[in-house]
Amino acid sequence: MGKKVFVIDLSICNGCYCCQFMCKDEHSGNDWSPIAKPQPEVGQFWVKLTERVRGTVPKVKVAYRPHLCMHCDKAACMAACPSGNIYKREDGLVVVDSVKCKGCRNCVDACNFDAIYFNEDLNISQKCTGCAHLLDNGWSEPRCVDACPTLAMKFMDEEDAKELIKDAEVWRPEIKDKTQPRVYYLNVPKKFIAGTLYDPVEEEVFIDAKCSLTDVDNGKKYAVVTDAYGDFWFEDLPDGKFKLEVKAGGKTKVFDEIDTTGNDVNLGDIPLA
Amino acid sequence: MSEKSKQMPLGGQPAVGADKTVIKALGLSGGIFGASPAQVDVKDGRVIRIRPLHWGEKYDYQKFNPWKIEKNGKTFGALPKSVPAPWSLAYKKRTYSPNRVKYPLKRVDWDPNGDRNTHNRGKSKYVRISWDEATDIIAAEIKRLHKDYGPLSILVQGDGHGECKMIHAPHGCSTLLLDKMGGFTQQVRNPDSWEGWYWGSKHVWGKGFIGMMAPADNVVKDICDHSDMVVMWGGDPETTHWGFRGQLASRLLYFWTEIGIKQIYICPDLNYSACIHADKWIPILPNTDAAMQLAIIYTWIIEGTYDKEYVATHTIGMDKIEDYVLGKVDGVAKTPKWASEKCGVPPWTIKALARDWAKKIVTIGHYFAGGMARGPFSHEPARLECVILGMQGLGKPGVHQAQVAYTGMPKNIIGAGKDHMGTFGRLEGTAAGERILKPHRGTPTAWGKQMIPKTLVEEAIRKGTVDFWGTGGHEEEAADQYVKYTYPIAKEEGGTEIRMMWTDTPCRQTCWNNGNEIALTSRDSQIEFILAQHPWLENDCLFADIILPVNTTLEVDDISPCIRDGDSFQSVLYMKKAIEPVGESKSDFEAVVEIAKKLGMEKEVTEGYSVDELIKATYEGMRFDEIVPWDEFNEKDYMVIPVAENWEEFPAGLYPFYIDPVKNPLPTPSGKLEFYSEGLAKAFPNDEERPPYPQWIEKSAIHDERISSRRANIFPLLVLSNHGRWRVHAQADDIPWSKEAFTGKVRGFDGYHYEPCWINTADAAARGIKHGDIVRVYNERGSVLCGALVFERVMPGAVSIDHGARTDFIIPGNLDRGGAINLITPEGLTSKHAAGQATTAFLVEVERVSMEQMDKWMREHPEAFEREYDPASGLKFNAWVEGGNK
Repeated sequence: MGKKVFVIDLSICNGCYCCQFMCKDEHSGNDWSPIAKPQPEVGQFWVKLTERVRGTVPKVKVAYRPHLCMHCDKAACMAACPSGNIYKREDGLVVVDSVKCKGCRNCVDACNFDAIYFNEDLNISQKCTGCAHLLDNGWSEPRCVDACPTLAMKFMDEEDAKELIKDAEVWRPEIKDKTQPRVYYLNVPKKFIAGTLYDPVEEEVFIDAKCSLTDVDNGKKYAVVTDAYGDFWFEDLPDGKFKLEVKAGGKTKVFDEIDTTGNDVNLGDIPLA
Repeated sequence: MSEKSKQMPLGGQPAVGADKTVIKALGLSGGIFGASPAQVDVKDGRVIRIRPLHWGEKYDYQKFNPWKIEKNGKTFGALPKSVPAPWSLAYKKRTYSPNRVKYPLKRVDWDPNGDRNTHNRGKSKYVRISWDEATDIIAAEIKRLHKDYGPLSILVQGDGHGECKMIHAPHGCSTLLLDKMGGFTQQVRNPDSWEGWYWGSKHVWGKGFIGMMAPADNVVKDICDHSDMVVMWGGDPETTHWGFRGQLASRLLYFWTEIGIKQIYICPDLNYSACIHADKWIPILPNTDAAMQLAIIYTWIIEGTYDKEYVATHTIGMDKIEDYVLGKVDGVAKTPKWASEKCGVPPWTIKALARDWAKKIVTIGHYFAGGMARGPFSHEPARLECVILGMQGLGKPGVHQAQVAYTGMPKNIIGAGKDHMGTFGRLEGTAAGERILKPHRGTPTAWGKQMIPKTLVEEAIRKGTVDFWGTGGHEEEAADQYVKYTYPIAKEEGGTEIRMMWTDTPCRQTCWNNGNEIALTSRDSQIEFILAQHPWLENDCLFADIILPVNTTLEVDDISPCIRDGDSFQSVLYMKKAIEPVGESKSDFEAVVEIAKKLGMEKEVTEGYSVDELIKATYEGMRFDEIVPWDEFNEKDYMVIPVAENWEEFPAGLYPFYIDPVKNPLPTPSGKLEFYSEGLAKAFPNDEERPPYPQWIEKSAIHDERISSRRANIFPLLVLSNHGRWRVHAQADDIPWSKEAFTGKVRGFDGYHYEPCWINTADAAARGIKHGDIVRVYNERGSVLCGALVFERVMPGAVSIDHGARTDFIIPGNLDRGGAINLITPEGLTSKHAAGQATTAFLVEVERVSMEQMDKWMREHPEAFEREYDPASGLKFNAWVEGGNK
């Protein structure tokens, strides 16, 4: 059995929640011991779809992301389990033995990704198993992947995925080396700065107006021009502070301190007069 | 973003842990509109898993001739699996819902031989009775009503969406009985998602496909090949496609982005398509689209940037439009500045859109109407859209009105039928055809002896008579809208007022117009008997006198031809029973048979056919056996209709009309696009709401729902009410997993799951409303409680509340905890002569509900707060049944 990875392309995640639903369909009310005992009907999510609203009206987008056990090669949960009941399978999946788990909860606290839940009724820790009980019986992929309508979620042999994950990111990249997760994300959205330039006297937008952005921290420069709607979009920006200069109709306007640390930034409809 | 479909298993996955697997169509469009095939794994008589169907599991996948559309080296093609919506795949939660009706019920204080206490409908609870008792009562009532008033005193409410079942049709089975006992009064289902096109566009381009552009063959490929931009005006393919066809539209919209087709979304909310696919979102105040459309037309006229040659040869009435737009008729030029004040879109944005549009090849995309064509006077924006498309050469490659992926997908070897019924027409004339088709006819056609449009039932009860123009049947010609109908029909033809309502569609309060009035009118003593048959104890059921327990698709043998566009392939499913019926439930058809037995009418209803025979008769009657023989179908439980080899050759949309309007005329009196309708002018010379050519209507005698209204001083916010993301109309509001989605439900401080009210950050702040607060949404017509979703996915001035939430009255007809927003929609129709519903774009105010207020309601209406409630799925069956725990 080859080692597996999850590859999730966030640019085509439509936010349908099929992954989250199908995890419950498979695991709530069904007992797949010893791989997994039933997942609680509500409140716990072995796959959880997260959503983040970016920007303000009318420059708004939504970023969805399925969050699940990262099946780390250096899994903090395994190290934290005093009785050795969390194990790594040959295919790379990390599984909590649902029969042997003694309910000490150490793994819940140890996980770097909030991916482990404690089931009070069963007194055990639970999380994504990669549907190992299905994989061991002929399935090529877990339920979440099977139900993904856009093929945003893939479950692949690491060898086959090499090219695909070349530029992929992992969740919490700052601890990548420490955890070595097996879930890869493609096209993780960063931040945007956007706005619209218009002439308040003529009530016309400015098209092809030059907009220059400078990263205050490192001096890196970005340049775009406004489109047919007078809109400028700087995308894929890091968190940080920026300075923006926009020029149109012989006028210039400067925004000194734009902060993308919290949310994406829409500067609104900007009159140049 | 390449699709590694090669890596996907073509054969499917094994049924691990199951002792049986069946196939079901789990779309919720209903009846004959099969969709979303899925495999249901069963163990020991319980459903353990529902999963997508992999088309190639029992056949050679390549023999289906999988289609693909290529552009710029990118490919959009068929997927080897079905892509059902999440709640289709969660359907076991519906079948096992704690809210299932487990046995027949009688309202505790309804005595057919004594006091009927009709004023207590919606208030008093139910007691268990046996099937035998229930059917005795029902049969006796039918006999009595027939004798006292005549057969037409029974109103059949047997239409609309539901589960995909041919034989155990979710709606209309009662007509199998009543039609053979002298007839019935038909509640005619008005177009309830595309009102504007039905009541408006039909007068511009003819009958169309239920009013929308037709034919629409191959427009998907044509858009990919030729369009620069798609303006998605109101509709939301990431929501509405789910219930009708699954999730294929999602990949199409991503593909358009991939190949450089821009997507502009014009809607008050950042809907579920806009939030991931929009290149630009233009927020617009609800139901003010007509103002922006007129300003676009104004810009094109002033700047001379429309296809004048096409307009001269393909349309009539442009002179009228031009005079009106330039202000020669009413002294008001429909400039971008004028429009901006109405619609809230900056004038510079309107001009930019008009100019960008004129330079590009543009299709207008929809998925039914969204907010754009479901409000008051919705025929006006719908007709103006036809004018806009006409001014840019409708039918030209890349210029269409597109119901994204609902129509216009690659054709299969059977091809589409002639109208909404499609190839179901093949069943007509077969021996069992009438038995199979009759229940389904009530949804698209008007065939009752005496009729009441679904929007006018309450008025009919209150006033005793109503006039209406056009039946509202989906397949009617435009000219039918010039015909005046009256309820009741003449006495000598059997006409009589209705005395009984028999509903298998008990969702009018939460899905139709002015739901509070529907609730209160149900108490009228004229209505002596209300019979409901339904799987779940919800909505209008709670105003019935007898409720029969109906089962779900998982509990019956049936067949579902999934033969409409919108999935990778069309298919036919032999849907064998997954589990035994829950409780004492029977199918809708079986319930009617039980009643028929008591009336000595069993043979007339079944026509002697068994269910198995009817399934086979459907398959062979529709001639699917010419593709896969019956025995093979019976063994494999499904078949796939291969894609036509020559599918790319069908002309796209109205291309033939574009090329030669004389040889290929539209089905209008002139054969052209009629911007000005002589038919409307003659039939309704003084109609100020729907004049002969489309205009901006500020208000009328029946609607006063603009921000310019004096009412807006008290009710300053406009409600946008879309089809639900987490429901199909009223269906599937009890799935616990949906409630956990961020926009699913909002958990209030009292632990109750409230229907979300989307409100902009600024509007919320001005009212002291915080995310997660319980809020009261209200106007003169009543109040509904919701949970505040405070965010930037809706523009200031508008709030968005999906329709179809399950009612939970604190005060029936006045205050609802379930968040059923249609309870307070306008009573008025689309317009005086257009009996559509106007269930979006109306004025309300929203206020935070304090704990003190909630305490007060609890003290005053303790019974409403004591109903048994499951924190996961909502109200339980026990909530309304005395001794329901037994």
